[in-house]
Amino acid sequence: MNVKEYISGGAIESYVLGMSTEEERREFESLAATYPEIAKARNAFELALEEQLLRDAPAPPAQIKATVLSAVQTINTDSIANPLPAEETPVRSMGIWKWMAAASLLLMAGAAWWGFDSNKKYNHLQAQTDSLQQQLTTATAQLNEMKADAGLLQNPAVKMAAMKGTSNPDIFSTIYWDTASKDVYLMLNNLPQPAGDKQYQLWALLGGQPIDLGMIEVTQKRLLYRMKNVQNAEAFAITLEPTGGSTAPTSTPIVLSKL
Amino acid sequence: MSTKFTYSEEELVIALRKQDDLAFNYLYDHYAGALYGVIKPIVTDGELTNDVLQEAFVNIWRRMDQYDETKGRLFTWMLNIARNAAIDKTRSKGFQQSQKHQSISDAESIINPSRPGYDDYGLKKVLLKLKNEQRQLIDLSYYQGFTHEQIAKALDIPLGTVKTRIRTALSQLRVLLS
Repeated sequence: MNVKEYISGGAIESYVLGMSTEEERREFESLAATYPEIAKARNAFELALEEQLLRDAPAPPAQIKATVLSAVQTINTDSIANPLPAEETPVRSMGIWKWMAAASLLLMAGAAWWGFDSNKKYNHLQAQTDSLQQQLTTATAQLNEMKADAGLLQNPAVKMAAMKGTSNPDIFSTIYWDTASKDVYLMLNNLPQPAGDKQYQLWALLGGQPIDLGMIEVTQKRLLYRMKNVQNAEAFAITLEPTGGSTAPTSTPIVLSKL
Repeated sequence: MSTKFTYSEEELVIALRKQDDLAFNYLYDHYAGALYGVIKPIVTDGELTNDVLQEAFVNIWRRMDQYDETKGRLFTWMLNIARNAAIDKTRSKGFQQSQKHQSISDAESIINPSRPGYDDYGLKKVLLKLKNEQRQLIDLSYYQGFTHEQIAKALDIPLGTVKTRIRTALSQLRVLLS
């Protein structure tokens, strides 16, 4: 290339004055490193420019210097508060802002983890609360049933009749009959599980006639089972009937009582 | 505070890299005026010119480890920091609103790029010796920071012509300086 032409072509001034494009700048730097004449010419122009700008330069307002020095002092204080290694290492050149950026990143990562972890814990607690809430509802319902049953047993209007096994003395049930409301309740103290096609049926006996008081679900887990009302009764009996019940007993009573 | 001793450029650079306050004091005393002279015709507003000068010196102090002496003199590096800070300021939204800054399409800024009171020192004084047409191009590209493409469009001149004329003006400038 023609170095002389390049030197006189305005590239040096353009580079020194910061008017080159990125590409032109790279090209100039590489040429200046290769051709000492170009570097020399650049230096000469820089010196001439510097001299011209220093010559009768306008004086900036005096107070600016104090502001600049105090601003720089603040930067220094920051550096002292966060001392950097004294040696010229890559770490030293990081500067306060990069340290702060690094600290911010750590802080952000920490906050993100904290948020993630908290969310996980929250979901876990939420599931636990839901499960406990369900348990409490069930327990409360059961307790209310028991309370109602206990209240019934304490009611002086309620008559109790033990039904004893007619053939097996271990089989045993209890009738609670509210003489005021005529409600009938049954307690299954010990009644064996019937065969698949059979069901227990409760009867009231009045004047030798059986009155149907309903089918008994042995599988239910209640203390007292509410049966059909009966206006009057002399005795109660339970018979084993085909599933669905019968209009009149078809077998001899399993248990029998007198009021 | 007046500085009673001087530094060679090498000594100054070494001392500044060690964050030597005295060296920075010297740097300010020695170069603030020259940098002020470059910022002033770009920003034109007195208060903002002061702000830019402060910013420039703070940036010089902060970025001292980025200065590479193989690429040019310390002053050239500082000059470019100051000019960039000044042009950035004129591009800021606040400046545009408060100054109603002349846009490149503003006829007056093209016809009469020189502003009274800003041509009697520094580079501007030298630029006065250039032909009007050349001075206009330097003003638009150097002081107002427009790209060659923007200038070509605004003045309705082919891009190649803008490049050639600016290069010619710049080499003319070197002749005038030496």
